[in-house]
Amino acid sequence: MNTSIIRYILGHILKMEAVFMLLPCIVSIIYKEPKEGLTFLAVLIVCGLVGIFASIKKPASSTFYLKEGCVATALSWILLSIFGALPFVLTGEIPSFTDALFETVSGFTTTGATILESPESLSYCSLFWRSFTHWIGGMGVLVFLLAVVPLSGASNFNLMKAESPGPSVGKLVPKVQYTARFLYLIYVFLTVIEFIFLAAGNMSVFDALTTSFGTAGTGGFGVRNDSIMSYSPYIQWVVTVFMVLFGINFNAYYFLLIKQFKKAFKIEEVKYYIIIIGASILIITASTFTTISSLSSTFRHASFQVASIITTTGFSTADFNTWPQTAKCVLVLLMFIGACAGSTGGGIKVSRLVVLAKTVVKELNSFIHPKSIKKINVNGKPVEHEVVRAVNVYFITFMIIFSFSVLLISFEGKDSVTNFTAVAATINNIGPGLELVGPMGNFSCFNIFSKYVLIFDMLAGRLELFPLLIMFHPAIWKDVVRKKIKR
Amino acid sequence: MKSIFPKVNSGLNIVIVGGGKIGVALIEQLTAEGHDITIIDNNPSRIQTITNMYDIMGIVGNGASYGIQMEAGIESADLIIAVTGSDELNLLCCTVASQVGNCASIARVRTPDYSKEAGYLIKKLGLAMIINPELEAAKEVARIISLPTALDVTTFTHGQADLVKVKVTSSSPLDNMMVTDIAQNISNDFLIGAVERDNEIFIPSGNFTIKANDKISIVAARKDIHNTLKKLGFKMTTVKNCIIIGGGKVAYYLASQLLSAGVEVKIIEQSKKRCEQLSILLPKAVIINGDGTDAGLLDEEDLQGVDSFVPLTGIDEENIMLTLHAKHVSNAKVITKVNRLGFKDVINTLDLGSVVYPRFITAEAIIAYVRALNNSMNSNVETLYHMFNGRAEAIEFYIKEKSAVTDIPLMNLKLKDNLLICLINRNGRVFIPGGNDSFKEGDFVMLVTTHKGFGDIRDILKK
Repeated sequence: MNTSIIRYILGHILKMEAVFMLLPCIVSIIYKEPKEGLTFLAVLIVCGLVGIFASIKKPASSTFYLKEGCVATALSWILLSIFGALPFVLTGEIPSFTDALFETVSGFTTTGATILESPESLSYCSLFWRSFTHWIGGMGVLVFLLAVVPLSGASNFNLMKAESPGPSVGKLVPKVQYTARFLYLIYVFLTVIEFIFLAAGNMSVFDALTTSFGTAGTGGFGVRNDSIMSYSPYIQWVVTVFMVLFGINFNAYYFLLIKQFKKAFKIEEVKYYIIIIGASILIITASTFTTISSLSSTFRHASFQVASIITTTGFSTADFNTWPQTAKCVLVLLMFIGACAGSTGGGIKVSRLVVLAKTVVKELNSFIHPKSIKKINVNGKPVEHEVVRAVNVYFITFMIIFSFSVLLISFEGKDSVTNFTAVAATINNIGPGLELVGPMGNFSCFNIFSKYVLIFDMLAGRLELFPLLIMFHPAIWKDVVRKKIKR
Repeated sequence: MKSIFPKVNSGLNIVIVGGGKIGVALIEQLTAEGHDITIIDNNPSRIQTITNMYDIMGIVGNGASYGIQMEAGIESADLIIAVTGSDELNLLCCTVASQVGNCASIARVRTPDYSKEAGYLIKKLGLAMIINPELEAAKEVARIISLPTALDVTTFTHGQADLVKVKVTSSSPLDNMMVTDIAQNISNDFLIGAVERDNEIFIPSGNFTIKANDKISIVAARKDIHNTLKKLGFKMTTVKNCIIIGGGKVAYYLASQLLSAGVEVKIIEQSKKRCEQLSILLPKAVIINGDGTDAGLLDEEDLQGVDSFVPLTGIDEENIMLTLHAKHVSNAKVITKVNRLGFKDVINTLDLGSVVYPRFITAEAIIAYVRALNNSMNSNVETLYHMFNGRAEAIEFYIKEKSAVTDIPLMNLKLKDNLLICLINRNGRVFIPGGNDSFKEGDFVMLVTTHKGFGDIRDILKK
């Protein structure tokens, strides 16, 4: 394994994190928070120096294969989170390192699960950093790296593959670098539009910025204790619409950008995504409608919660923990469905479920015509056997990790709805679950061991399981150890 | 969409149809030159492998279909290169593309039936170029056979100048001689463009000393090359007969060229049916039906006494084995054809003598065309040749109009290091320029450099 290229990439990632940390420093100047600002500055310098030191020597060979891509991705997310957690610990705002790490991982993986009782007690720059991690993690750090640093060598597509969500990662244009730039261009553009809409609704600039970051990355950290509940209905609608937009496959936006409207509206996954959202909103509106509240507000809350859960954002405008069972059940199911592949959202992804559902139909047909041969079609194209296999394996692995995690955190003795939804909310990168971890609760009630289990789930969910799991494969470690001994 | 990244995105949009060995060779070379490439092939696993190896976009489907070409973005493409296994499909790809977009098109056409009509096809179908790797390989082999002391022969400026690679022997007067002394002691009709010593490439300056076992590339006018080599102490024999193993397309093209030059040709081919075809196509050649890898048969056909031996089977390993065998038992000039590019370095260490890579030759022709297309400002890349396994390039420019490099004495130009202006062809007169000469409009200029990617004559200047 080419360990020096991994070191080189990690160095670049840390340098980038140092640059990102400049923003909270600026925020601290605006809001006059010298102590927090200096802490960020100190971490920034350390992070930058380590990064420069690690990337000072160019690796002899710049080729890397899928395994290097996976290892580099997993390690960079872990490193990013550790450095990103330091300011919280050093300012004393989140004194426990585990809690700070949980919060940062939750930020970068765009989960939005918090251990804070009241986010409002944090300083402005910490709140900003917390929301900004969503924005960085949404599209991916390595994709950003590919967009700005011309890494020579042809195989850097392996990096993008390891980080981008979805069963089959395609390129928009022939070069990885330009593909990454297009993705970020669309991402920045949509974020700016949302910010403008929010600011137009009399939201303060700080709140509009952090909310935009939270929506864009489909993260879900709110800056207020009650998430989005206390904002005006206009703001809630804007956030709803943009959550849905960020959950759509970015290929669709690219097709719009190059004016191929037909192609954009023909993507099958997006069609199903919209249908699922529509149906869920109807069911929840019907089940939560009471004579006390108006139909419009019921509809608004239903739409907001559906959009928030299916895109795995995790904002809330209502305490859905108190909703009727039907509504809660629909929301829990939506948690697993997740957004479209190639979006910033998490979950199993609509496209995988489409393939799985079509496989089931195909298998059923083979009972009636045992010798029939039929390929599954998506977007009018046959799906290769390899892709179907990968989807099946993904689903099984997902279920195994899910059940193990539920088992591990059940040792604490909490009720099973809490355990079940806590794991579902973290592995699908949503944020709030039900009962103790519901929209009005938080994750601080878990013990350290359970928190690490959930941290693992968040990372596994964001990186689509395998890049993280491969770190546990003995071959990866044997390689590193053998090299060390040789030296 | 280029407008979003105007400065960085300077490469061309190129669509390649067919991901076979030649397609991959092209991808390797063209990505290295920074172009945006989309590959179309109907084999999904092949697309998978290629897109994993190179930074390009892959599309699965039939490259001649309108829908697939649209998906590959033919509308905004600058060039389509069709290199599938089928000539007809390649021509259809280019025809469809020329109707949809306004891109230039290059097709691989290799069956002798069509390649005779290449000129007609280019004109009628509006192609930019037809490539025929087999024919090009045969031409290269024929050139080397005509100059058997050379390891490698390339022609420049429409055949008026040659670039010849030779190995310096210890008996040569060049051994231990400084480059500046060569002109007075031997001759000033030629120039040493590049030297390979112990796997390193030098562009020699005046105080460079040539040693025995160096591989040197000599540039000279065609009419002077025989005399030059003679003066350098090389034996100048002419080849009178040749044994070719394998009766494929290259063998056919080579045999017909050798026969017309008056060389006796013997082809050993395994398939009886192909032998019969060849005997009709090449009535003057001796066609032998048998296994060319059988040492007994080779002995019977007098391998020991033959002047030249060219193994052209489809299998690289067999060709290399046959070469080693021939070098062992006879003094024949042996030329080896190697298809796969992946093992160039190790083959270089085997000391096989002359090695020909058909895929490389084709890729060079296309890259020369692409560079000209990308950069046709005031000069044109006419010929591009990769020397020493691609570690140095010999490039010929046509100077169309005045620019920063014309009409200035060469000694006053600030040239890059590791670059040598080898010769100028002015109105058909080939000469080696001195410091007082200058480039004029209409000149063909040939130079050797270890820099990569020259697309314009002004690239020779220091930045």
